[in-house]
Amino acid sequence: MPGPLALVIWYIGIGLEIAFIVCSIARKSFFRYLFLNAYFLLELGSSAGRYFFLSRFGQSSAEYCYAYFYTDALLTLALYVALISLYARVFGELRLNNFVRYAAVLLLLATALFSYAAVVQSEQRLATAFAYELSQNLYFVGLVLTYILWGAVLKLRETRTRLVQFILALGLYFSGYAASFALVNLASKYSVVSFIAPALGCLLPLMWTVTILRHSEESRLEPARLLAVAR
Amino acid sequence: MSRKLAALALVLAILVSSMGLKTALSGGHAGNAVLMANGPEPFPKPPLR
Repeated sequence: MPGPLALVIWYIGIGLEIAFIVCSIARKSFFRYLFLNAYFLLELGSSAGRYFFLSRFGQSSAEYCYAYFYTDALLTLALYVALISLYARVFGELRLNNFVRYAAVLLLLATALFSYAAVVQSEQRLATAFAYELSQNLYFVGLVLTYILWGAVLKLRETRTRLVQFILALGLYFSGYAASFALVNLASKYSVVSFIAPALGCLLPLMWTVTILRHSEESRLEPARLLAVAR
Repeated sequence: MSRKLAALALVLAILVSSMGLKTALSGGHAGNAVLMANGPEPFPKPPLR
Protein backbone atom coordinates (compact mmCIF):
# COMPACT_ATOMS: atom_id res chain seq x y z
CA MET A 1 0.00 0.00 0.00
CA PRO A 2 1.19 3.57 -0.61
CA GLY A 3 2.19 5.91 2.22
CA PRO A 4 -0.26 7.94 4.35
CA LEU A 5 0.25 11.17 2.37
CA ALA A 6 -0.65 9.47 -0.92
CA LEU A 7 -3.75 7.94 0.71
CA VAL A 8 -4.82 11.32 2.19
CA ILE A 9 -4.52 12.95 -1.27
CA TRP A 10 -6.53 10.09 -2.77
CA TYR A 11 -9.34 10.39 -0.17
CA ILE A 12 -9.49 14.19 -0.59
CA GLY A 13 -9.79 13.71 -4.36
CA ILE A 14 -12.63 11.20 -3.95
CA GLY A 15 -14.39 13.57 -1.52
CA LEU A 16 -14.15 16.45 -3.99
CA GLU A 17 -15.47 14.34 -6.86
CA ILE A 18 -18.48 13.29 -4.76
CA ALA A 19 -18.92 16.96 -3.76
CA PHE A 20 -19.14 18.03 -7.41
CA ILE A 21 -21.80 15.42 -8.23
CA VAL A 22 -23.81 16.26 -5.08
CA CYS A 23 -23.57 20.01 -5.77
CA SER A 24 -24.64 19.65 -9.39
CA ILE A 25 -27.65 17.57 -8.30
CA ALA A 26 -28.47 20.11 -5.58
CA ARG A 27 -28.20 23.01 -8.07
CA LYS A 28 -30.32 21.07 -10.61
CA SER A 29 -27.48 20.99 -13.15
CA PHE A 30 -26.74 17.27 -13.27
CA PHE A 31 -28.25 16.68 -16.72
CA ARG A 32 -27.18 20.09 -18.02
CA TYR A 33 -23.55 19.06 -17.42
CA LEU A 34 -24.12 15.35 -17.88
CA PHE A 35 -20.73 14.56 -19.42
CA LEU A 36 -18.80 16.36 -16.66
CA ASN A 37 -20.77 14.39 -14.07
CA ALA A 38 -20.32 11.17 -16.05
CA TYR A 39 -16.56 11.73 -16.01
CA PHE A 40 -16.53 12.00 -12.21
CA LEU A 41 -18.87 9.02 -11.82
CA LEU A 42 -16.51 6.97 -13.98
CA GLU A 43 -13.56 8.29 -11.97
CA LEU A 44 -15.26 7.16 -8.73
CA GLY A 45 -15.87 3.71 -10.23
CA SER A 46 -12.29 3.41 -11.40
CA SER A 47 -11.06 4.59 -7.99
CA ALA A 48 -12.96 1.69 -6.39
CA GLY A 49 -11.44 -0.75 -8.90
CA ARG A 50 -7.95 0.64 -8.48
CA TYR A 51 -8.28 0.47 -4.66
CA PHE A 52 -9.31 -3.18 -4.91
CA PHE A 53 -6.26 -4.09 -7.00
CA LEU A 54 -3.92 -1.88 -4.96
CA SER A 55 -4.93 -3.35 -1.61
CA ARG A 56 -4.93 -6.91 -2.93
CA PHE A 57 -1.78 -6.98 -5.09
CA GLY A 58 0.28 -3.89 -4.16
CA GLN A 59 1.41 -0.78 -6.01
CA SER A 60 4.21 -2.40 -8.02
CA SER A 61 2.14 -5.40 -9.15
CA ALA A 62 1.27 -6.04 -12.80
CA GLU A 63 -2.42 -6.34 -11.84
CA TYR A 64 -2.54 -2.79 -10.44
CA CYS A 65 -0.55 -1.54 -13.44
CA TYR A 66 -3.08 -3.05 -15.89
CA ALA A 67 -6.06 -1.83 -13.86
CA TYR A 68 -4.56 1.67 -13.63
CA PHE A 69 -3.70 2.16 -17.28
CA TYR A 70 -6.84 0.56 -18.75
CA THR A 71 -9.07 2.72 -16.52
CA ASP A 72 -6.85 5.73 -17.27
CA ALA A 73 -7.45 5.28 -21.01
CA LEU A 74 -11.21 5.09 -20.36
CA LEU A 75 -11.11 8.18 -18.16
CA THR A 76 -9.10 10.19 -20.68
CA LEU A 77 -11.69 9.24 -23.28
CA ALA A 78 -14.46 10.40 -20.93
CA LEU A 79 -12.63 13.68 -20.29
CA TYR A 80 -12.27 14.14 -24.05
CA VAL A 81 -16.02 13.69 -24.47
CA ALA A 82 -16.63 16.16 -21.60
CA LEU A 83 -14.36 18.68 -23.35
CA ILE A 84 -16.22 18.21 -26.65
CA SER A 85 -19.50 18.81 -24.79
CA LEU A 86 -18.08 22.18 -23.67
CA TYR A 87 -17.14 22.86 -27.33
CA ALA A 88 -20.71 22.06 -28.36
CA ARG A 89 -22.00 24.57 -25.79
CA VAL A 90 -19.66 27.35 -26.94
CA PHE A 91 -20.27 26.79 -30.66
CA GLY A 92 -23.94 25.80 -30.28
CA GLU A 93 -25.18 29.34 -30.91
CA LEU A 94 -23.23 29.45 -34.20
CA ARG A 95 -24.97 26.23 -35.32
CA LEU A 96 -21.61 24.49 -35.69
CA ASN A 97 -22.54 21.46 -33.58
CA ASN A 98 -22.40 19.02 -36.49
CA PHE A 99 -18.99 20.31 -37.56
CA VAL A 100 -17.68 20.01 -33.97
CA ARG A 101 -18.97 16.42 -33.68
CA TYR A 102 -17.50 15.41 -37.03
CA ALA A 103 -14.10 16.97 -36.24
CA ALA A 104 -14.09 15.42 -32.73
CA VAL A 105 -14.70 11.90 -34.06
CA LEU A 106 -12.10 12.39 -36.79
CA LEU A 107 -9.55 13.65 -34.24
CA LEU A 108 -10.23 10.70 -31.95
CA LEU A 109 -9.77 8.23 -34.82
CA ALA A 110 -6.57 9.96 -35.96
CA THR A 111 -5.16 9.89 -32.42
CA ALA A 112 -6.04 6.19 -32.04
CA LEU A 113 -4.40 5.41 -35.38
CA PHE A 114 -1.29 7.39 -34.44
CA SER A 115 -1.08 5.61 -31.05
CA TYR A 116 -1.47 2.21 -32.71
CA ALA A 117 1.30 3.04 -35.19
CA ALA A 118 3.56 4.04 -32.28
CA VAL A 119 3.12 0.74 -30.37
CA VAL A 120 2.50 -1.82 -33.11
CA GLN A 121 6.06 -3.16 -32.82
CA SER A 122 6.00 -3.17 -29.01
CA GLU A 123 7.30 -6.26 -27.20
CA GLN A 124 4.77 -5.68 -24.41
CA ARG A 125 1.15 -6.84 -24.72
CA LEU A 126 -0.23 -4.72 -27.52
CA ALA A 127 -3.50 -3.84 -25.76
CA THR A 128 -1.69 -2.51 -22.66
CA ALA A 129 0.85 -0.50 -24.63
CA PHE A 130 -1.95 0.86 -26.83
CA ALA A 131 -4.10 1.89 -23.85
CA TYR A 132 -1.10 3.64 -22.27
CA GLU A 133 -0.09 5.42 -25.49
CA LEU A 134 -3.66 6.43 -26.39
CA SER A 135 -4.21 7.84 -22.90
CA GLN A 136 -1.06 9.98 -23.11
CA ASN A 137 -1.68 11.18 -26.67
CA LEU A 138 -5.34 11.94 -26.06
CA TYR A 139 -4.35 13.91 -23.00
CA PHE A 140 -2.06 16.17 -25.05
CA VAL A 141 -4.75 16.54 -27.72
CA GLY A 142 -7.11 17.61 -24.92
CA LEU A 143 -4.57 20.15 -23.73
CA VAL A 144 -4.29 21.77 -27.18
CA LEU A 145 -8.09 21.63 -27.63
CA THR A 146 -8.60 23.44 -24.32
CA TYR A 147 -6.32 26.30 -25.40
CA ILE A 148 -8.15 26.55 -28.73
CA LEU A 149 -11.47 26.62 -26.85
CA TRP A 150 -10.21 29.39 -24.60
CA GLY A 151 -9.20 31.37 -27.70
CA ALA A 152 -12.73 30.86 -29.07
CA VAL A 153 -14.23 32.00 -25.75
CA LEU A 154 -12.23 35.23 -25.96
CA LYS A 155 -13.00 35.77 -29.62
CA LEU A 156 -16.73 35.08 -29.27
CA ARG A 157 -16.88 37.11 -26.04
CA GLU A 158 -18.58 34.26 -24.20
CA THR A 159 -20.29 35.62 -21.10
CA ARG A 160 -21.73 32.51 -19.41
CA THR A 161 -19.79 32.48 -16.13
CA ARG A 162 -20.07 28.77 -15.43
CA LEU A 163 -18.93 27.80 -18.91
CA VAL A 164 -15.98 30.21 -18.82
CA GLN A 165 -14.94 28.98 -15.35
CA PHE A 166 -15.23 25.31 -16.36
CA ILE A 167 -13.00 25.91 -19.39
CA LEU A 168 -10.48 27.94 -17.38
CA ALA A 169 -10.33 25.22 -14.72
CA LEU A 170 -9.78 22.57 -17.37
CA GLY A 171 -6.98 24.65 -18.89
CA LEU A 172 -5.29 25.00 -15.49
CA TYR A 173 -5.68 21.28 -14.83
CA PHE A 174 -4.21 20.24 -18.18
CA SER A 175 -1.41 22.81 -17.91
CA GLY A 176 -0.56 21.64 -14.39
CA TYR A 177 -0.29 18.06 -15.60
CA ALA A 178 1.87 19.12 -18.55
CA ALA A 179 4.18 20.93 -16.12
CA SER A 180 4.34 17.88 -13.85
CA PHE A 181 5.05 15.70 -16.91
CA ALA A 182 8.07 17.89 -17.67
CA LEU A 183 9.09 17.89 -13.98
CA VAL A 184 9.01 14.09 -13.79
CA ASN A 185 11.40 14.02 -16.75
CA LEU A 186 13.66 16.64 -15.22
CA ALA A 187 13.74 15.58 -11.57
CA SER A 188 12.34 12.07 -11.21
CA LYS A 189 14.85 11.25 -8.43
CA TYR A 190 13.03 13.52 -5.95
CA SER A 191 10.20 11.65 -4.22
CA VAL A 192 8.12 14.83 -3.78
CA VAL A 193 7.55 14.87 -7.54
CA SER A 194 5.48 11.70 -7.24
CA PHE A 195 2.92 13.55 -5.06
CA ILE A 196 2.46 16.50 -7.41
CA ALA A 197 0.41 14.67 -10.04
CA PRO A 198 -2.06 13.01 -7.60
CA ALA A 199 -2.45 16.39 -5.83
CA LEU A 200 -3.24 17.97 -9.22
CA GLY A 201 -5.94 15.31 -9.61
CA CYS A 202 -7.82 17.06 -6.77
CA LEU A 203 -7.63 20.42 -8.56
CA LEU A 204 -10.28 19.82 -11.25
CA PRO A 205 -13.10 18.59 -8.96
CA LEU A 206 -12.25 21.39 -6.49
CA MET A 207 -12.45 24.16 -9.12
CA TRP A 208 -15.57 22.77 -10.78
CA THR A 209 -17.30 22.33 -7.38
CA VAL A 210 -16.51 25.94 -6.43
CA THR A 211 -17.81 27.09 -9.84
CA ILE A 212 -21.08 25.22 -9.57
CA LEU A 213 -21.57 26.38 -5.98
CA ARG A 214 -20.75 30.06 -6.53
CA HIS A 215 -22.39 30.71 -9.90
CA SER A 216 -25.87 29.96 -11.16
CA GLU A 217 -26.65 29.08 -14.79
CA GLU A 218 -27.90 32.64 -15.33
CA SER A 219 -24.65 34.28 -14.11
CA ARG A 220 -22.96 36.35 -16.79
CA LEU A 221 -19.53 37.97 -17.07
CA GLU A 222 -19.08 41.44 -18.45
CA PRO A 223 -17.40 40.96 -21.86
CA ALA A 224 -14.81 43.67 -21.08
CA ARG A 225 -13.49 41.59 -18.17
CA LEU A 226 -12.54 38.74 -20.47
CA LEU A 227 -10.18 40.80 -22.62
CA ALA A 228 -7.46 42.80 -20.95
CA VAL A 229 -6.75 44.78 -24.11
CA ALA A 230 -6.38 48.53 -23.87
CA ARG A 231 -8.65 50.35 -26.29
CA MET B 1 -12.66 24.30 -49.40
CA SER B 2 -15.46 22.10 -48.18
CA ARG B 3 -16.25 21.74 -44.50
CA LYS B 4 -15.03 18.14 -44.47
CA LEU B 5 -11.63 19.09 -45.83
CA ALA B 6 -11.43 22.00 -43.40
CA ALA B 7 -12.15 19.60 -40.52
CA LEU B 8 -9.48 17.19 -41.77
CA ALA B 9 -6.88 19.98 -42.00
CA LEU B 10 -7.84 21.19 -38.51
CA VAL B 11 -7.60 17.67 -37.06
CA LEU B 12 -4.15 17.10 -38.56
CA ALA B 13 -2.90 20.48 -37.32
CA ILE B 14 -4.16 19.72 -33.78
CA LEU B 15 -2.62 16.24 -33.81
CA VAL B 16 0.76 17.50 -35.01
CA SER B 17 0.86 20.32 -32.44
CA SER B 18 -0.20 17.94 -29.63
CA MET B 19 2.49 15.39 -30.46
CA GLY B 20 5.03 18.21 -30.84
CA LEU B 21 4.14 19.50 -27.39
CA LYS B 22 4.41 16.01 -25.94
CA THR B 23 7.87 15.52 -27.44
CA ALA B 24 9.02 18.96 -26.31
CA LEU B 25 7.90 18.38 -22.71
CA SER B 26 9.48 14.95 -22.49
CA GLY B 27 12.81 16.22 -23.79
CA GLY B 28 12.60 14.14 -26.96
CA HIS B 29 11.96 10.87 -25.13
CA ALA B 30 8.19 10.64 -25.24
CA GLY B 31 8.05 7.03 -24.08
CA ASN B 32 10.06 7.51 -20.91
CA ALA B 33 7.80 9.46 -18.59
CA VAL B 34 4.48 8.41 -17.12
CA LEU B 35 1.60 10.84 -17.36
CA MET B 36 -0.94 10.55 -14.59
CA ALA B 37 -3.80 12.40 -16.21
CA ASN B 38 -6.80 11.21 -14.26
CA GLY B 39 -7.54 11.27 -10.59
CA PRO B 40 -5.57 11.42 -7.37
CA GLU B 41 -4.54 7.74 -7.19
CA PRO B 42 -0.89 6.74 -6.66
CA PHE B 43 0.56 5.69 -10.01
CA PRO B 44 2.28 2.40 -10.84
CA LYS B 45 5.31 1.82 -13.05
CA PRO B 46 4.45 2.43 -16.71
CA PRO B 47 4.34 -0.60 -19.02
CA LEU B 48 7.56 -1.23 -20.92
CA ARG B 49 7.74 -0.75 -24.67
